[in-house]
This record gives sequence, structure tokens and C-alpha cells, in this order.
Amino acid sequence: MRDYILLFVNGKRNRIDGADAFRTVSDFLRGVLNLCGTKIVCSEGDCGSCSVLCGTPDFQNRRFSYKPIDSCIRFVYQLDGCNIVTVEGLADNEVQGGKLNCVQQAMIDCHGSQCGFCTPGFVMAMTGILEDSNSPSENDWRRGLTGNLCRCTGYSPIIEAGLRSDTKSSASMNDCFEPTAMLDAIGNAASQEITVTSNTQTIYSPTTIDQAVQYLVQYPEVKIVAGATDVGVQFNKGNCEAEVWLDLNRVWSMKTVSLTGGAIVAGAGATWSDIEILIENDLPQFHQILTWFGSPQIRNVGTIGGNIVNASPIADSLPLMFVCNAELQLTGGDGTREVNINDFYQGYKKFDLQPGELLSQIRIPLPEDDEELRLYKISRRQDLDISSFTGAIKMKLSGRKIRSAVIAYGAVGPVVLRLPKTESFLAGKELNEETMVAAGEIVVSEIKPITDVRGGDEYRLQLARNVLLKFLHEVRPEGALA
Amino acid sequence: MNEHSQNLLERVKVLDGKSVGKSIPHDSAIGHVTGSAPYIDDLPRRVDELFVGFAGSPFAAGKIVSVELDDAQKVEGVVCVLTHNDVGPHNIFGPLFCDEPFLADGELLYIGQPLVIVAAETQAALAEGINRIVINATASEPVLSVDEAIKQKKFIGPRRQIKCGDPETAINNAPEKLSGTFYIGGQEQFYLESQAAIAFPGEQDQLIVHSSTQNTTEIQTMVAEVLGLSMHQVVCICKRMGGAFGGKETQAVIPALMVSLVAQRTGRAARIVYDKDTDMCVTGKRHAYVCNWEVGFKPDGQIVGLKCDFYSDGGAAADLSTSVMERTLLHADNSYFFEHAQFNGQVCKTNVPPNTAFRGFGGPQAVAATENIIERIAEYLKIDAFDLRLKNTYGQTDRNVTPYGQLFSGNHMSEIMETLAESSNYRHRVAKLPGRNSTDRMNLHGISMTPVKFGISFTTKFLNQANALVNVYTDGTIQVSTGGTEMGQGLNTKIRQLVADEFGVGYSSVIVMPTSTEKNNNTSPTAASAGTDLNGAAAVNGSQIIKKRLADFAAEIFASPEKGLIPSPDHIEFAGGIVSDVRQPGSGIPFSELCNRARLERIDLGARGFYKTPGVDFNRETGKGNPFLYYTQGAAVAEVSIDRFTGELTVPRVDLLMDIGKSINPKVDMGQITGGFIQGMGWVTAECLVYDEKGNLLSHSPTTYKIPAITDVPPEFNCAFFPNDDNLHCVRRSKAVGEPPLLLGVAAWAAVKNALSFLPSDHDPNLSLPATGEEILRCLTEQANG
Repeated sequence: MRDYILLFVNGKRNRIDGADAFRTVSDFLRGVLNLCGTKIVCSEGDCGSCSVLCGTPDFQNRRFSYKPIDSCIRFVYQLDGCNIVTVEGLADNEVQGGKLNCVQQAMIDCHGSQCGFCTPGFVMAMTGILEDSNSPSENDWRRGLTGNLCRCTGYSPIIEAGLRSDTKSSASMNDCFEPTAMLDAIGNAASQEITVTSNTQTIYSPTTIDQAVQYLVQYPEVKIVAGATDVGVQFNKGNCEAEVWLDLNRVWSMKTVSLTGGAIVAGAGATWSDIEILIENDLPQFHQILTWFGSPQIRNVGTIGGNIVNASPIADSLPLMFVCNAELQLTGGDGTREVNINDFYQGYKKFDLQPGELLSQIRIPLPEDDEELRLYKISRRQDLDISSFTGAIKMKLSGRKIRSAVIAYGAVGPVVLRLPKTESFLAGKELNEETMVAAGEIVVSEIKPITDVRGGDEYRLQLARNVLLKFLHEVRPEGALA
Repeated sequence: MNEHSQNLLERVKVLDGKSVGKSIPHDSAIGHVTGSAPYIDDLPRRVDELFVGFAGSPFAAGKIVSVELDDAQKVEGVVCVLTHNDVGPHNIFGPLFCDEPFLADGELLYIGQPLVIVAAETQAALAEGINRIVINATASEPVLSVDEAIKQKKFIGPRRQIKCGDPETAINNAPEKLSGTFYIGGQEQFYLESQAAIAFPGEQDQLIVHSSTQNTTEIQTMVAEVLGLSMHQVVCICKRMGGAFGGKETQAVIPALMVSLVAQRTGRAARIVYDKDTDMCVTGKRHAYVCNWEVGFKPDGQIVGLKCDFYSDGGAAADLSTSVMERTLLHADNSYFFEHAQFNGQVCKTNVPPNTAFRGFGGPQAVAATENIIERIAEYLKIDAFDLRLKNTYGQTDRNVTPYGQLFSGNHMSEIMETLAESSNYRHRVAKLPGRNSTDRMNLHGISMTPVKFGISFTTKFLNQANALVNVYTDGTIQVSTGGTEMGQGLNTKIRQLVADEFGVGYSSVIVMPTSTEKNNNTSPTAASAGTDLNGAAAVNGSQIIKKRLADFAAEIFASPEKGLIPSPDHIEFAGGIVSDVRQPGSGIPFSELCNRARLERIDLGARGFYKTPGVDFNRETGKGNPFLYYTQGAAVAEVSIDRFTGELTVPRVDLLMDIGKSINPKVDMGQITGGFIQGMGWVTAECLVYDEKGNLLSHSPTTYKIPAITDVPPEFNCAFFPNDDNLHCVRRSKAVGEPPLLLGVAAWAAVKNALSFLPSDHDPNLSLPATGEEILRCLTEQANG
């Protein structure tokens, strides 16, 4: 058992205990290390000004894997063994020797900064893109920077800076920050459990599910944290005070994800980035939704399990899991049980998870070959926006006939809703405009959306009707015109 | 940017100067990309420094019954708790009217209105102290919309009017008439660096205030007034802002006052940095508008008479709202000639934070209102809106006087619009729209071109002045200070370029110093797009004063009576870091050597430059005058695509063409154009301020308030300069660029309107602004059902 966090910042080792371990990373960087290049704007992961690169140790390959994260919604205690690279570290390392990296130079040459406040975050996210690709396309730059807001430039000069970055002259982070010494310094400490306490809080960081479950049985009121993409926001806005925290970031077995037996099998701690890569070819509809979901910084840490137990009626992944009958594996002191996600939720933010139980694994069966699946995520802005409406429609069709239909809508009630009346109405009907218009009227009798900041109830009702028609036009464009 | 626009950018004619005309990187670019450029929150903390925050009004309207401070004062680490009682007699302030309380006193005006200031040793103690303040108040019914304010006759300032001809008769006699009511939403500035200030107490009751402000003199004046000091006891400094867009022209005052009051009371340094939610909840924004309009026109589309009644949501106090309305009335003509027109404007008083300056300053709402009418007429007459626009555009030799009586000289509008139509392939693309819209069952497409003619100068005459301090050192380097503030727009870069060229030295020999009232007094805000026009001209003037002294001195040095060459300052040339007498090739000495010798000869190497804009004035009582020195002009073509089922909007292509004269720094200016357009596009599409029925702002952070993201930038985005060197009025024949491109964003909205016109229904769903997915779906549904 260790009582401190080992964290490298720009290759320099920090041993962090007490209250500092509970700070957000950005707060630690600015307030303790005086690295003020990392900026704070929104404190909720929606602007990317606080972006840093988080290098996670990969002992097998003797290197670190660097990805951009939002440092304002990540806690220090979640990054044991990691190397954080900040904007100050990009030029100031042995390889660069004070010379600006290719992204920094291109941002200067292309007038990619105006007021400069978002610039460090952009530079870090752009450098992160180069960790994954040597020659990103314009689309790669755009998709890679959806987590960074700029209010001055209109982004064009930033896209140009990306395209003009002299990537050949750029050293990778593993070149700039020699991994061996850091990996050796971590050594066996990587597998140790950690408990850090401050005057008011305790964090326990296990490395196995068994340890996690034991702790949970002992302290059922503990606050579980994985990606912290929501907890971090609540913490920053003063809506989350916990005395005891259980961090799942070092439970490696919960982070795996694979396509097995016609299903996505994901540990609850698998990140959306890992899932996104895995399913690109096998479930393109969901892949499209994931590219809009959050931002690279959010998807790099946000977990599938977190999206499920956060239990938001507008969680972007849920409609798919509902129509595919995802099985949730819940692990407690007495063993493991499985629940169909359609039976999991009981009311707003209420669900079938007993005290001492943990969501450990999710199994999402892929649609059959003869099933048509379409997913809908409608929001004020396409990227990095919480949905105004979500939907999943899955139908088994034979010719023009609907053999069966499964529909789940989000943001139309306190939980994601299946629409049994509509589903049974559709079964056996001809797939045409008349059917879908009629189905739309049944749909609106099954849902009760509210008016909030993301849209009015009338708007949501109309979307509920219209996505049925959109489905028709998408899967049977010829038939629809006829 | 694609290759085409890149080439256009490169082809822009540049001036002869060594620095001016070049795309030198931003003055602080290295600091930006390395994170080493400090903002207020990054400045090292002084050991005695206090954290400052405040508790605000719980109600949008009501009365304070009592405020309980005891519990807050008892929190360990809380150093002081202050209310309006601690302010003294000058708790009321305001840039135009003195009507805004610094700390709420009796009446509550909006939710979050600062009421109690807390200063503490730590952030945690500050939070706890604020938590323990108890505000007992009674709520009353707030006024939360323009419509409600009109009903209750809650107004700020007088109703203003600009009128020409006899619009009443003209409309009555017109063969065709249309009328309507147009709703225009507000907009959050969303500068990334929230409001922030630090105050340091000094000797003799002095205060040094570092503020993220566009207006150092305003901060100095208000701090002195409210704290009962004299102006010479207060220094305000601004090195840079992390964005401002108008939101720090007046609204930086309250945070600066808070830390100043704490510093004065405690004798300790004090800092406040708003968090984003607080900033968005308590600061003013772009004004929402309602416009009642009536237009008469001929069957060929010529407009014969126009009447617009504008009402703006001023919020709870005047701030700059009456000036904003003035600019609305001055831009309701956009680029069209109206023989008979009447524009009325009235600011309404509501229970939201006082609305304020935001890039465009009332101009965007006017242009949106006018373009709505143009699109409506085009739709009604079933003619192309571009033809309608050309028909009504100002003429060169006639039809060239604005409704307020100013002659529109330097008019390039038709040429710009025709050129852009050509380069964007407008006609061809518009001709294909009916076919595309009849076959594409998934998406609806629309295209529109909107022009802009933006008047440059403050409409308040006295603000059109600037001073500059130029210090030349004996090694030939130069420091320049002006009242202009750097918010990212590249002002400091341009001033360095201008001054370097005056002295014929390299760009790096000149540095622009932080803006401070100690060096530049009685300054105007950096606003109205005129930052470079005013401060650049003052810096050039200051440089020329020193240069004249140096030329006189150099003339003596180079004089050669034996060759018959008498001293002649007119023949002294400053170029390439060398000062020489052009009559004697090879005679030059380094600029640095001349400076050193000048000092030994007791020649003053410092000067103060001054500039005032000539010939501008406007009588707001009569609505007539010559408010503008010149007009920045441009046009945009936007194409949109709408999901027929969900109302989701994408903007696949935009083409912009702007006349900004001879550019001092083409890439800095292009950055203003792309940035301004995208900001304007955000305003007209996705940015939506949502309040609940009590007056709480629900869209108070980037989670709920959506400015454009990088993927919203049109995949095809062509931006070009319209070559023009006729602007003799402005420094180095340049033109102001800050605000005008924002107004081009209206093209995206007009394109939505155009797309909706392809639906079979004749019903006009009266698309409002912004055209969010929700609003578009409302229109689609109404048209399908109607």
C-alpha cells in the first residue's frame, strides 16, 4: 500500500500526498508548480483551454502513450505513474533544446493565435494529433480539435497551421521525454494499491476488481470515479462533496474492449476512444455517433461504464444499447449477475445497482445482417454538445414488410424509453410514409418530453415523429419516393 | 483556406515600407504558443494578496430587506465583507447615464447583481464566506422581454429617429407592401479570459489597478469616482486581454471597483477572476431586438419606402445601450439607398444584466432586420434576392446620400457584389437550387449574398481622438505606448510596423508597452474598429515629431558647405536602419549612432503624438450629420443545407470579399475577417441565450451555450480582399476591419430563409434569429402543415 501519487510533469518526478492529490490537474499545475501556461476557462471540459498531454505508461512496449486530456476535470490522484506534458514542456526538453515544436512554429507563422488564451490548449491538442499520425488530413485536424474552442480566429488559421506543420521535424513525446528512466522510477509501484488522505478526504486506488469490490462492500457510500468527465465538472461547480473516493483508473482488467462472438464486450472502464477505434467497421452507425460524442479529450478518459451509471436520459450511448439489448455485468461481494439494460433503469438517475455492487462489464450484441439500424443524436451544435434528442431505431425487414421494430428514444422522459406501443404497431406493417406518419402519432403518446435549455417540448415531440420518417428515407430511399 | 484565396491574399498590393504591408506574426505569438504570455490570473501572487469574490442578488427584481454578514465575517480567513454602505456617496456609476449601482442598494435589478464583496486569505475561505451570507429580499415580477417592457413602457433614454423623405406617403402609394415583426436574439461575447482585475495599494492613497479592459481611462475614472479619489491617484494598466469583443469596454468596471475597494480598505493587494458561469450570468451581452417593419416596393423590386421601429433589450441599466441603438439606426440602410425611410429606436429596460458593446455595436441587428426584409420581398416577388439587392444598392453619382445625410463616397458596393458573384459562381449555383431541392428528399438547400457597409468612427465625436508616447533610446530602439489595448486583434503588431517604418528601422527595434493611464491619459476605449486608425495615427504623429528633430540635427551633421550643400532636413532619409543625406550617396550613419549623438547635443528623443479624426459630427437630436470618416465594405455568399426531418443546419460553403483598403498586415486582417464572420455566423445560427421565467440565465457556460466549433467552419471557406487604395483618410491608406466582417455572418441566416422559400407552402413562417435547429424545424413543420 502506497500513500502518495507518483506523477511526472514534463519528465520531472513529483511525489504528491495530502490535499494536493485531490486537486484537479490544472489547479495543481498552476497553483503548485506555477506552470500558468495551462489556462482555465470553463472548468467543465467544454473549451479545451486546459488541454495537456497525458502519457500513460506502457510497460510492455517500454514507452508512454500520449493523449490530450482536459486537465481541469481530471484529478491528480487519477494519474499515478503518468507523465503530463504541458505547453511549457514542448520546447523545454533535451531533444527540442528550447526550439519550438512544429505546431508552435506553424501557429506563429499562420497567425493561429489572436488573443492567445485558447492557444496553449490548441497547441497541446495539435501536438497530440501528431502522436497518432504523421500526416493528418484537414479532416483529421478538424475532427481532432473539436474539443478546443477559439473565439477569435474563426479556426481557419489554425487549420492552416495544422496543415503547414512541418511534421518531419517534429520529435515524438517519447523522444522528448525519455521513457526508460520514468518507467524504472515507477517500477513495482505500478501494481501497488494506493490510499491517500487529506484532512477531509480519502482516495483509494485499487488495481484489481476484487480489491475494488471489497472496498465498496466496506464503504458502500464511497464515490466511484473513473473518467471523471462528469464528477470533475460537478466538483468544480461545487456540487460534489465526497469524503471517500474509489478510483478505478488503475484496474487494468476493466479497461479492455473487444469484438467477441458477434458482440462488443467492454470492461466498464473502457474509454470511448478505444471503443471508437474498435467498432469503426463493424458498427459504423455507432462510430458516427461516437465521433460527435464529447471531444477527443473527453473520449480519451470518459468510460462506457460511466455513461451507463451516470444514468442521464440524454446519454448518447444508451439508445443503441437499449435496442441491442445490452447485458450489464454487475459484480458485488456475493459474485456476479447480469441485467438487460432495458430492465436496469427505474427512474430519473435511479437504477438496479445494489450497495456494494459495481458495473464491471458490458456486452452489446451487434445487429443481425437482416436488421436495419439507425442512430440519431440531435443537438444545438453537432460536435461536443449534449443532445436535445437521441434515438435508435432497429428493424427487421423482409421486402417492404416490417417483421419487427425496436425503438429507444432519449431526452423524452426521465430515462431513455423503449416505445412498446409503437413497436407493436409497426410489426407486420408495410414500411412506407403512411405507416411512419401513423407511428409518429403513437410515439408522441408514449413520451413526455420537457422544455429545458436544450429545447422545447414541442421541438422534441416533432423530432420524435420526424426521425421515423428520416429512418424510412434512409433505409428505403427508392420506396419512400414511390 | 484554399489555394484560391491564398493566392488572392498574396496578390494584395502592399506598400513600399519595410514592415507595413507584411504579414508579420502577432506581437505576442511566441508568448501565446509557449504559454508564457501572462494574463491577469497568471501574474505572480503578492504575499499579502487577497482573493476577492461577491454574493449577488437572488432575484431579477425585488427589494432587499436585510443582509446578514456576521457568519461570513466569522469564517477563518475572511478579511473583509463590504456592501454599498462601505462605498460612500458615489455608489452609482455609468458610462453614459449615471444609473447603475456598483453594489445593489435597496432595489434588486437582475439575478447575480453584485451585492456583497468578500475578501479572504484563501480561495476556500472566500467560497465559505460567500456561502454564509444571508440575503433577505422580497421578489417582484421581473420584466424579461422586450415585448413585456414595451407593454409596461419601461424605457431607457429617449426614442431616437433617423428619417429622410416621406416614408408614410411613399409606402401608402406603393404598388406592393409587406410588413412584419422580426425577433433578433442577443449574443454572449464569450471572450475566453473572464473578467479579471488586481489592485495594488500605493503611497498617498494611490491605487494601481491591472484590469482586463478595453478602456483603461474608464477604469481609472470610475475607480476614482466611486472610491472618492482623484484621477491622479489611480493608475490603470492593461497588458493584454484574452479576448474582449466589446464585453470589456464598460463591463470591466465592476470587478475593478471590487478589488480597488478591497485594496483601499485593507491596504493589501486584491485580485478577482470571475469563473465562466459567473461571468456569463452577471455581465451584459449583445442586445436582443424586436423590429416592427413596413415596406413599400415596386413589382421590379425597387424599394420606395421603408419604416423600421427598433426596440432593444437594454437590461437593467443604460450602459452603452443608447449609443448601440444609435448605430442601429445608422446602419438600417445597410448598403441600400432609400429615398423615403424612417428608423425609430427605443432602448427598453428589463431585469437582465445591463447589455453592452459587442462587435458590431447595434449594426448587426440593423443589417439582419434589413436583409430579412430584402429576402421577404424577393420571396414574395419570386425574383432572385441578389438582383433585388443590386437594384437597391447605393449609386456612385446619384442615389448616394444616406438617410442621415452623409454622402456615401468611396462606394465600391456594386463592384464588390458583382466581383463576389463571379468568383463564387453565384448565378450558376442559384440556378441549380430548384432542381436540387426538388430531388433531394433528405436536405433542403439555400444560398444568399448579403452586403455590408460599416461606418468607421465613434458616433460620439469626442471619442475620436488618441495620444501616443514615443520614446527613442540612444541605442536606436524605440518604445511606444498608446491608449489602445491589445485583445488579440493585432493592434500592437500594427503599431510596431507603423513606427518602425517611420524611423526606417527594423520591426524588432520597436516595442509596444503595456497600456497604462500613467503614460496615456484621457484615452478612448479600443472599440468601434478604430483602434489602429486612432492609435496608429497618434503613434505615427509622435514618431514624426521626433523624426523632424533628428532630421534637423542630421542635416547639420551631413551639411558640406565646401561642396555647396547647405543643411537640408528635407533631404534626410531614414531607411534600413541608416540615416543619410540623399544628396550624398554613402553619407549615412546608423540610426543608433544618430540617436546617441542627438542626446549628447541635448535633443529631446521623446514625444507625444496626437490624432483627432477630422470632419466627423452627428446630431442625434435631428438624426443628421456626418458621423463617419469612411466606410469599410464587403459582401458574403453563404450556402446552407438543412436536414428536412430534424432542422439541423450545415454551412458547406462561404465566400467573402472585403474592402479594407491597403492592409497594414494582411494576415492579421484576414484573421479578423475569418474570426468575425464565424462569430457572426454563430450569432445567427447556434448561439442561443435561454432564460427561465424567473430571469435565471440557463445557458451560462459552454456546455449550454454553443459558440461555433472548428467543425462548423464551412469546408469551403474562401476569403479575399477587394483591392483598393483610395482611402486617403486613414493611416497608410488602410481601413478598419474589426467589426464589419461579423455582419457578413447574416448571409448564413439569409440563406436559411432562402432555403425555406423552396417549400411548396406560401405561408411565411417568419424565421427569427438565431436560426437554430429548433427554430428551423418549427418553420419546416409550420410550412408542411400550413
